[in-house]
Amino acid sequence: MLAFIKLENVTFSYFKDKNAVKNISFQLKKNEVAALIGPNGSGKTTLGKLIIGMLKPNDGKIFIDGIDNNKMTLGQIGSRIGYLFQNPDCQIFTTTVIDELAFILKFKGAPEEEIKKNISETLELFDLADLQNSYTFNLSQGEKQRLAIAAIMMGDPQYLILDEPTSGLDMERKAKLVNILQNLVQSGIGMMVISHDRAFIDLIAAKKIKMLEGEIIEENC
Amino acid sequence: MKKIADILDPRTKIVMVLCVSTLAVFVQNIYILFSVFSFTILITALIGGNLLLVAKKIGKMWYLFILIVIVQSIFVHSGKILVKIGSFQLLTLGGILLGVEFILRIFIIISSATILSTSSSREIIQGMVQWKIPYEIAFMVSVAIRFLPVLGRELKDVVTAVQLRGIDLYRIQIKKRLKIYYFIFTPVIIGAIRKAQKLSTAMETRAFRAYPNRTSYLVLKMNNIDYWVIVIFSVMTISVIILYYVFLRRLI
Repeated sequence: MLAFIKLENVTFSYFKDKNAVKNISFQLKKNEVAALIGPNGSGKTTLGKLIIGMLKPNDGKIFIDGIDNNKMTLGQIGSRIGYLFQNPDCQIFTTTVIDELAFILKFKGAPEEEIKKNISETLELFDLADLQNSYTFNLSQGEKQRLAIAAIMMGDPQYLILDEPTSGLDMERKAKLVNILQNLVQSGIGMMVISHDRAFIDLIAAKKIKMLEGEIIEENC
Repeated sequence: MKKIADILDPRTKIVMVLCVSTLAVFVQNIYILFSVFSFTILITALIGGNLLLVAKKIGKMWYLFILIVIVQSIFVHSGKILVKIGSFQLLTLGGILLGVEFILRIFIIISSATILSTSSSREIIQGMVQWKIPYEIAFMVSVAIRFLPVLGRELKDVVTAVQLRGIDLYRIQIKKRLKIYYFIFTPVIIGAIRKAQKLSTAMETRAFRAYPNRTSYLVLKMNNIDYWVIVIFSVMTISVIILYYVFLRRLI
């Protein structure tokens, strides 16, 4: 299978004298779960933001589905890749769970029946059925994480990039998230998980890329 | 050698910013405004304010400049007509001058404000407190200064997050875009309320205003140079305003 995401000698720096990401090249396929691991400040989140076009590389190229991401708008990238922020609060736009799930489909003008059907399936898949009429700002961190991923999935992306999806989750909620992500993988969604939670990574990812000080120091570790 | 920013008292810097901003608002003559603009650049550079950042921020407002020029050209009929569609004046020399005045004003206000950024928010609060401004008000001002960039960053993240849902925000119809802005502000406003709640709890746990009088480890002391700068800036500002309103406006 061809690479869905391809990085060629990508370098990026926030400040002139220090590179946050140094000359990184790798490929990610659609049918695999990859994990970007490494200590805090190793450049994992920066690399995720470079892939989805939030940051532009100083050097090198990033291709998504064969297209240079520099030539794509955030909207075009977002329709292919779903991105979960470290802080899910900034990607929950509405006040109730059901409205949040309907947000993108309503915007795209999908028929009411299709919206209802998709919402009902997603509520079940993400274990949010009991919370469908809850206010989004009253949800716990784990519920917000699940809702954010569920809302991303309503846009039907082919790939997911999840930045620290287990932060602030206890063991039980982590297990629930692993179950949901495994279901998504089985349905053909590829993903890259950015995390330093080794136990979670071992459960979900087959391919591991270890970063340190902006460089890849180990692959498949 | 000590930097000028470290020599000057935060209160002196506040007076400098107030004087220059007052001139930017009151003066409506492009030549005087340009003089104030040049003077502001000089003092900001001397004190160590970030002029490059100001220029970048102003550069991003180019569309506002064009809008102002067109609106002024349409509604204020002054100067030579440069572009006309039928009997409709689209661009006049007067409109361009007013647009330039607007940019000069914005530049003066923003760049003079960067002078304040050379002092810490703690020093600015202390300056206000020593001016007998109630601590609560001084603290509120400092919180506003502290959280403004945070809100800006959050707004940027939410705008990005909306686009990453597959919405081409800058290519959709204006009606749809306005609707999206409602959704953009929801998480930002909720986030701001949350932050305010957390901050107030943190303040309570640290016994904010437990006693009516506060002592402070940091005590500011004005030097001779501060008094001189305050007097020079105040006299200069009052003189320019009097000269402009009493003499110059009659001549124009």
